[in-house]
Amino acid sequence: MLDWLKNINREYPGFWKQYLQKFEHRSKRFVIISLENSGQNPDKDVIFSIGAIAVTENSVSIGDEFEVIIPQYKYLHDNDISNEFIIESKLEKQSEPEAIEAFIDYIGNAVLVGHRIHFDIDLINMALSKLQCGRLKNEALDIEIMHRKLNDLPEKPFPLDELLRHYKVPGTARISAADDAYSNALLFLKLKSKLGIN
Amino acid sequence: MRNSIADRIAEFLKDFPPFNKLSFDDLVKIASEIRVVSLEKNQTLFKTNDQLHSSFYVVASGMVNLTVIADAEETLLHKCIPGDIFGLRPFFARNNYMMTAKAREESLIYAIPISIFRPYVAQNQEVLNFLLESFAATSRNPLDQDLRGNLVSDSISLPEQKQEMQFFQSLNYNKNPLRVSSAQLTQEVATLMTENLFDSAIVVQNSFPVGILTDSDLRSKIATGRYPISIAVDRVMSAPVITVGENISLAEAQLLMLKNNVSHLCVTADGTDRSEIKGVISQHDLIVAQASNPGVLVKEIKRSHSAKELRQVREKMGEIIRSSMSKNIPLTHICNIASEINMALIKRSVELSILDLGSPPARFAWMSIGSQGRREQLLYTDQDSFLVFEDVAPEKYREVKDYFLKLAKRAVGVLEKIGYAPCPNGHVAGNPQWCHSLSDWTKQFESWMNAPGEKSNQISSIFFDFEIAFGEPKMEEILLDAVFRNNRKNSFFDYLGNDALRKPAALSFFKKFQLEEEGEFRDKFDIKLRAIMPLIDGARLISIAQGIRGITNTHMRFKQLAMSDTKHSETYLSCAEAFLLLSKYRTLEGLKNDNDGRYVNLDELSRTDREKIKFALEPMEELHEVIKSKFRLTQFS
Repeated sequence: MLDWLKNINREYPGFWKQYLQKFEHRSKRFVIISLENSGQNPDKDVIFSIGAIAVTENSVSIGDEFEVIIPQYKYLHDNDISNEFIIESKLEKQSEPEAIEAFIDYIGNAVLVGHRIHFDIDLINMALSKLQCGRLKNEALDIEIMHRKLNDLPEKPFPLDELLRHYKVPGTARISAADDAYSNALLFLKLKSKLGIN
Repeated sequence: MRNSIADRIAEFLKDFPPFNKLSFDDLVKIASEIRVVSLEKNQTLFKTNDQLHSSFYVVASGMVNLTVIADAEETLLHKCIPGDIFGLRPFFARNNYMMTAKAREESLIYAIPISIFRPYVAQNQEVLNFLLESFAATSRNPLDQDLRGNLVSDSISLPEQKQEMQFFQSLNYNKNPLRVSSAQLTQEVATLMTENLFDSAIVVQNSFPVGILTDSDLRSKIATGRYPISIAVDRVMSAPVITVGENISLAEAQLLMLKNNVSHLCVTADGTDRSEIKGVISQHDLIVAQASNPGVLVKEIKRSHSAKELRQVREKMGEIIRSSMSKNIPLTHICNIASEINMALIKRSVELSILDLGSPPARFAWMSIGSQGRREQLLYTDQDSFLVFEDVAPEKYREVKDYFLKLAKRAVGVLEKIGYAPCPNGHVAGNPQWCHSLSDWTKQFESWMNAPGEKSNQISSIFFDFEIAFGEPKMEEILLDAVFRNNRKNSFFDYLGNDALRKPAALSFFKKFQLEEEGEFRDKFDIKLRAIMPLIDGARLISIAQGIRGITNTHMRFKQLAMSDTKHSETYLSCAEAFLLLSKYRTLEGLKNDNDGRYVNLDELSRTDREKIKFALEPMEELHEVIKSKFRLTQFS
């Protein structure tokens, strides 16, 4: 509430206004996201790449996909880390503002899904605040919590690998954030039908 | 923008037809339109009469069963494994699906939109041909391994195919019955029937059946003088006629005839008497259908000229076994039929090898041993055999042995192609160790019986369950003589007895099943080693000791023992029953998973089934007691 009061007179960037307008309708689209990042502290850490893929009508739409690499030259330089792997990657590279803008355009009002998604959302919110935008408004579902709910399990960490094995999701080489998002999407499909979410 | 997931999928697709005919860039384009669907076990993707989907499907992982339902019975058309395509109907036809696609296990399916794929089909003749072929596959056997990946699925619309598919359920009947109008005179109709050698004529009005005139009508109404022979046929016909639909099964036809007390059924397009006549089924058709099926297979085997043809026959036998099991036909009958067919297959394999190699230089006999020799082989288990040839002059020995080794290797190879894996212990005639002259074999059996466990620790007891499959029956006699001449030797029975008792227990101290603790079959129950083998071994041991010749089948051995050894007859009879029951569960498991059914997943069985198995394990204890009391076993020898 306070946020809203504070921001009531603030002028948002255009893409953010468009994003906000999309929330007039509820979405039937799920977007599974996965980030590669330097860590989970929103104040210090940065996003290296974003992979996302959409699930609609109980199936993964391969075409409805998003992947981007953000070469965080400054962060790498500050922390004295080699930036070779990012330079060598053949995937599209964008600066953080461009990448975040494209990402916001892509997700729209979809329900976000991910493994321990709150960390991802915190990081994205941080990146958004750097662009003078508000926080993400999307609903979010956490795969780990879905698994716990389904099986009535106590608070115990379930790493992604373990879940993939448990639900017999066929192994793909999980190299990039996009691969992770795809594996997560398959996992989500199974959990979704088991939990009866529509 | 590059889509790395689409790349991955294109990478997967490019190994399978028809996608291997397309360029990688095209595949990436197609892949980026794919939707991935996840199916739970037993989830249905589409079923018969569903509206067509806008996509066709490729299995990415798991397995999808395609089935058709005829006569309220599901018939499996094809098991789609990763890379197989199915659901092609929307490409070529407008009407609804003709089959059901259901996940056999958790599966991932790529749905490729038809609208995306159609341009590639139009541009690429090879792709089009492949799809057409797959759609209209006229292959005789959809399970044929050689056609894997080539053939799929939507072919059920072809009538010949259908006939083939339901070979064992459907009936052959007269498709062109005699049709007469209701105003015709009985005498004329009778003349027509006699001329055409038919025993019935269908009376038609406005091309719909209104009645039927059969031999028995003529007998009871005309020959008795109740009606003159010049009367119109509609006065003496049986009406109304019982009508049935086209794909009626044997069992159903039988039931209808009994229920309505008629000898003929009229087949119509939709099964009512208000549609076109398609044929007539007589009692005789039922008899033919009942009597000839396994016989037809044996005939087919005799006519086959390649391992591939034999394989198709064996697959059909799988169908017989499957349908017989589901109809609760006694297992002993199924075993008898299956072993006749197995024997015919082995015989034909040896014959084919002889045809290739030229006639043999000496007389010989091909012996089946193990489960084939005991006539208990229902599943694709391994083949075990040995070969005996008559004694020849020493200078010719080498040459003769070489010939038979070659022959045996070839025959074993043919059998392998049919689907019988060679014995992992090498107990096949192709092995130089098990291809000997008659005197060598006599000696071999004698040394096994006189000094068991001396040379090699593993005398395989399965060698004592032999049955001749091909060749000179006299040799079998001579070997049997050798075995029973020596059956007074205690050391041999000691050995066999210990061997029989040494099998790991089936139940734990707390009457729980002993499951496999590690390895691929973890938490499954080894029904072969822990439950069936002890019975087989026990039956063999006691029946050889009692001098029961000529019976190798475990069930029959127990039955025979119950008669000859009355003191323990109850134990033997319960063992016989237990053996059948356990074999049945093994066979069911094997059919379900397409393997030898050795490891049973108890979790999938119902509680009553588990209790039945436990109950069947009880006679084993008694049998062990009998063995211990009969033979002086030094347990720790």
